[in-house]
Amino acid sequence: MATSKIAVLYGPGTNCHEETKFAIEYSGGEAEIISVQALLDGERKLCDYSGMVIPGGAAWGNHIAPDRIFAIHIIAKLKEDIEFFIERGKPILGISNGNQVLMEAGILPFTKVGEGTAAIIQNKSARFESRWTRLIVGEESPFSRGLSGKILRLPIAYADGRVYSNNKPLRAAFYYVDEKGNPSEVYPHNPAASPRGIAGVINSTGRILGMMPHPERAILQSHGSTDGKVIFKNLVELCKS
Amino acid sequence: MAITTLYVCRKDDPEARRLLNRFRKQGYSGLTDIVIERVFYLEGLDSKDEVQKLIPLFVNPVYETYSFESTLEPAEGEIIEIGYQKAIIDPETDSILEGAEALGVKSLEWVKLILRYQFNGIDREEAQKIVERELFDPIVQMIVEPDMIWDSLRPSGEPDKVRYISLKDLDDDGLEKLSKENSWYAPLPQLKAMQDYEEKRNRPFTDAEIEIFVQSWSDHCYHTTWKSLGLLKMLRSATEKINHPLVISIFADNAGGIEFFDDWVITIKGETHNFPSSISPFGGVATKHGGVIRDTMGFGKGGYPIGGSTIMGTMDPFIPESDIPTGALHPAYIVRESIRATAYYCNAMGIPMMQVAYKAHPGYPKCLALGHSIGIIPKKYALKDSPHPGDLVLLIGGRTGRDGLHGATASSAGMSGHSVKRESAAVQIGHPITERKIMEAVPVLRDRGYIRSITDLGAGGISSATGEMGEDTGVRLNLDEVKLKDNSLSAWEILLSESQERMLIALPPENIDAALSLLKDYHIETTIIGEFTGTKRFEAFWRGEKVVDIDMDFLWEACPIEPMVIEEKVRELKASSVPSLDSLQGVEEEFKRILSHYNCCDQSHSGFQFDSTVQGKTVIGPYSGVTGKMPTDIFLSAPLLGKEYGVMTTLAYNPFYGDISPEGLCRLMIIEAVSKAIAAGADPGAIALCDNFYTPKATPEVGWELTQMVKAISELSIKLGMPFISGKDSSSGTFTSKDGDVINVPYTFAVETLCRIPDVRKVVTKEFKGRGNSIIFLGRIDPERLGGSVYLDCHDERGDLLPELSEPYIEELQAIWKRLYELYNRPDNPIKAASIIGEGGTLRRIFEMCYGGQVGAKLDLTEREEAIRCGFFGSIDGLLFSEAIGSILLEIDAAADLEELFNDLPWFKLGMTVEGEDIELYKDREFVRLNMDDLIEAWESTFKKVVE
Repeated sequence: MATSKIAVLYGPGTNCHEETKFAIEYSGGEAEIISVQALLDGERKLCDYSGMVIPGGAAWGNHIAPDRIFAIHIIAKLKEDIEFFIERGKPILGISNGNQVLMEAGILPFTKVGEGTAAIIQNKSARFESRWTRLIVGEESPFSRGLSGKILRLPIAYADGRVYSNNKPLRAAFYYVDEKGNPSEVYPHNPAASPRGIAGVINSTGRILGMMPHPERAILQSHGSTDGKVIFKNLVELCKS
Repeated sequence: MAITTLYVCRKDDPEARRLLNRFRKQGYSGLTDIVIERVFYLEGLDSKDEVQKLIPLFVNPVYETYSFESTLEPAEGEIIEIGYQKAIIDPETDSILEGAEALGVKSLEWVKLILRYQFNGIDREEAQKIVERELFDPIVQMIVEPDMIWDSLRPSGEPDKVRYISLKDLDDDGLEKLSKENSWYAPLPQLKAMQDYEEKRNRPFTDAEIEIFVQSWSDHCYHTTWKSLGLLKMLRSATEKINHPLVISIFADNAGGIEFFDDWVITIKGETHNFPSSISPFGGVATKHGGVIRDTMGFGKGGYPIGGSTIMGTMDPFIPESDIPTGALHPAYIVRESIRATAYYCNAMGIPMMQVAYKAHPGYPKCLALGHSIGIIPKKYALKDSPHPGDLVLLIGGRTGRDGLHGATASSAGMSGHSVKRESAAVQIGHPITERKIMEAVPVLRDRGYIRSITDLGAGGISSATGEMGEDTGVRLNLDEVKLKDNSLSAWEILLSESQERMLIALPPENIDAALSLLKDYHIETTIIGEFTGTKRFEAFWRGEKVVDIDMDFLWEACPIEPMVIEEKVRELKASSVPSLDSLQGVEEEFKRILSHYNCCDQSHSGFQFDSTVQGKTVIGPYSGVTGKMPTDIFLSAPLLGKEYGVMTTLAYNPFYGDISPEGLCRLMIIEAVSKAIAAGADPGAIALCDNFYTPKATPEVGWELTQMVKAISELSIKLGMPFISGKDSSSGTFTSKDGDVINVPYTFAVETLCRIPDVRKVVTKEFKGRGNSIIFLGRIDPERLGGSVYLDCHDERGDLLPELSEPYIEELQAIWKRLYELYNRPDNPIKAASIIGEGGTLRRIFEMCYGGQVGAKLDLTEREEAIRCGFFGSIDGLLFSEAIGSILLEIDAAADLEELFNDLPWFKLGMTVEGEDIELYKDREFVRLNMDDLIEAWESTFKKVVE
């Protein structure tokens, strides 16, 4: 049954779904954690939800490549559901590993499920990186309302955060910046050494966002930054429109 | 069965680049390139069509290429293939099988991933040297020879039949001979107790029964050393005597727990995994984390992990190869592999990192590998129920293999099948994804009321877990139900296997269908392996035979504990001969040595590899400050999202003090850990402690020292009113090299605090916050007491006098703690920053506070009345580098009335925060400026050299 809830997708090994659900609810939305298995078994239907978030965490252990197996499930079993979801203009947010899923599955950058043209690959340092980063908005989108001109502080935690594309230029949603606030490819401002400083990618409609930083970890005063809350508030608003 | 090989290359491979850079730095200057091919060995695919269908699973054409033949050209460089041994299920296998199923490929039966390295520019000998030293772990891996013929990728074989063993009529020599032959290593009194038992029962033992006794009564599981010294009792009675109102569970469960807020309980456990980490660091350290996390999940009716730590003690990573005892691994390799393992396990688990510490001491060829886990659980589920007769024994998680078993047939080279009878793995490679799934499911099972009791499987495996859980009822197991990694396990091996990522649940039978269905939803393999009975017997069946039938009472009550002879050891200590610094001009050089000392240097290079913000609960992680990498000395979490109360932990671990006085070490570690918490704002009335001991193998002298250590911590915990609620002892810290040299670990004692914090917003971090504020020294210092300091270690000395903790001083400290907590709770708290003094001394902490806040400091070392009252007079090196544990440095608001704040306490104004970032030192008319950039360089460089 259709609801105004936002689906937070969960696969075996996903580990950021609880805080993502909290972030949505704290930002005024409703959220439900649903497992990929429940979608495969038909116990839940994606079209019943007003938006979708693929949270971070090593789903299926990040085995073979980050979120390859999550993406395989989407391509092989949920392609039509996702395409229908996107056609209806419902927003999708992929965070960290969720962003890798969107890329691996071709949902980003060019909204062609099963036809990936970009990927998120291993950090240049070849290490997992857990740090706080500073960011600015790249191309404006409904997700970034109220954030333009600001320097955001969000944490990152990934081993694979470098955007890789040998195709058309991507629409950068966020850039890592240096002390002066300029987009940076330099480590550790840009922990992945992602080209052009790209920390997130948005699709052409602006309704699908994939980002490597974790906005759900910057919601409360006690987190030391509440910048993530703005992104979730925008998501909640997008789900209504 | 057909085996297909698929070769995948990445267009951009940072891992290969990183290895290339490291090996070139290590002196392989001829090495021009490294190429890594990822080779998937796929068993069972029955058509080319099936293979093609699988390609999207293994290859993303955006950044990968593939082929069915290797693309590496042998003429360009030596090629060496490395993979896990057959007994080890690759971490990727299950996920790949699920991915294949999603793609509609049903015939894929098994997968192995092999890495194929090509080393260009160097000869075969050099390439093999690199592989042996850096890439190949013979304990768990194999080198795939080019001519290997593959029969199957899976381990296989037939189990041995049940053996019947009689101890009847054997004399002492006969018993000991039999024990040695079977690798039981049981002490004679235990063998005799079993002999008597056999006589009473009038039938020989099965191999499984003897193995159960030997394992259950081992020092590792039964803590025989500690019991024979009466130490567990001593520590436990101290905690009982304190009778702390917050304590919920002590020592009896897998972890200890104290009351939190709103009917929640927080838990703590520390666990060492020293031997496996010394011989196979990646597997050893990964399973260290896996094990201690399961202790949290096995608390009460299932706790939820909310934080973890990693602490490694090794030999000096800069030690030349020739100085490493034969048979020990190079400490730099151990450190690198341990970092890789912690990242591998903890990041995938989604549990934030709390503390990270790497320290060195020459006594650690057998390294210290310590990890903590803290958790949270609703109070109503914090205590286990006893299983009822008729409850089912549910085994969940990973499969059971020949892992961690003594005397198991070691595998030879691997996969060809020509020399392998049966496969075994002394050390395992943990599968965090399996454990993460359990972490998700356990709280759901618990909240639905399905769990009567739960425990993890660690040492002793099914035998230990079911034996302990069924102690009061009895248990009957059907070992044929246990799902195995391979079918060659015999009954005793199934019972004793230490395969990771398994847990055991006592489940009321009426809940079985619902529980099985829920576990299936979480992709967790589950089997009912038996039931709890009312017979008070431990019974097990296998292949139609009753292989175990023993009395629970005998198992748990008959282990003979012989009192241990102890003997005081007189230590020969040498007073420091390091000449005192009498001028400020020598400070910079000495201080840089301290900052670059391995035990004091910047270790964020490892710490940043561990996720510290996952779960969205972290308020203060291991690092903070303007640059984000000042060590905070605390971890603070607000574990219930949206609530402002929190849990704080702090760690104290020092490898040097034990060389001077193990008892002194213990007292200092407690004070250091507690001071760290209180300096940040913790309530002295809401702190519990977790202990971890690592000591040499028991001798009369070790027994004496251990007794003094436990006596010291018991007395001090009573004095402070801070109870030990959990802990672990390891009495196996003795290494014997292949040349026969015996090396004992330093007496090691680590304390982790668990603190309940009413309001996380009131906690203060260490970095200086502003300029023009006062820097206060609160406490006492004795500059003559440099024993065990990093400063003396920089001069290759240990000294003889540890920082003092007299009874009156401890009372003063308690007054200080009380005052600090009161100040932190004032609406106008004047404390802007705070740091304890510990390793490295006062100046190290001033450096960290300045670095963290990018604020300068001006310190006055001139002798003056108020400073003298605190002992702050004498040699300059003593003032700056003695490790005045208990003392605290504070940044106090410039406007505050210092007299009013600290009146009756030992304190003086050490200096001020100033413009710039440098540290200025004044003494009488002398002055020196320590350039911050130079200090940072010294501090940052050491650890990178080890790990990059």
